[in-house]
Amino acid sequence: MCPMPIVALAKKVKELKSGQVLELLADDVGAKEDVPAWCSRTGHQLVGTEEEGKLLRFYIKLK
Amino acid sequence: MADKLCMVVSEGTFDKAYMPLMMGTTAAAMGSEVHVFYTFFGTGLLKKVAKPKLPGMFRLFTGVFQKRMSKVGIPGHDELMKQAMDMGINFYACATTMGLMGVKESDLKPGVKVLGAAAFLKLAGESKTTLFIG
Repeated sequence: MCPMPIVALAKKVKELKSGQVLELLADDVGAKEDVPAWCSRTGHQLVGTEEEGKLLRFYIKLK
Repeated sequence: MADKLCMVVSEGTFDKAYMPLMMGTTAAAMGSEVHVFYTFFGTGLLKKVAKPKLPGMFRLFTGVFQKRMSKVGIPGHDELMKQAMDMGINFYACATTMGLMGVKESDLKPGVKVLGAAAFLKLAGESKTTLFIG
């Protein structure tokens, strides 16, 4: 639930390298808008989004 | 230079305690520099152990509410504040109101700085966004 997906995402990104693609699973409706906003703000690229019922799946390519 | 977000917290109830932490951790995750200034009833939240309660009669339901929040993965107040500090968020106690509220510098959580209004206003003047939570 907000804000934990974004906070967890920011933490994880620090452990990864540029060019790697991160898969993020979220069950928070807010994430639908939050993740793209986070990407545009931080410069990482959102390469894909999938929706499976209540579950949201994001693919983010790190800058 | 990173964007700055400043917040003023003047109340110590549960809702007003969580708002700056949730907003602040999100802003920090988005790459902003975050400064939170606690004044009047907010200063109590900076004590080593803070147990904020819901406002008014709702205070009786604080425990139920807290359980619901941990169910969705939001940690307790002090734990969330610690996470926020680890993310580099700056917490300040208002020098003047600390005296009024009977909060001593030794009561504060480690890492909290004591600041005057002028110094905070300087930070706020340099920031893009300043929010008042009270």
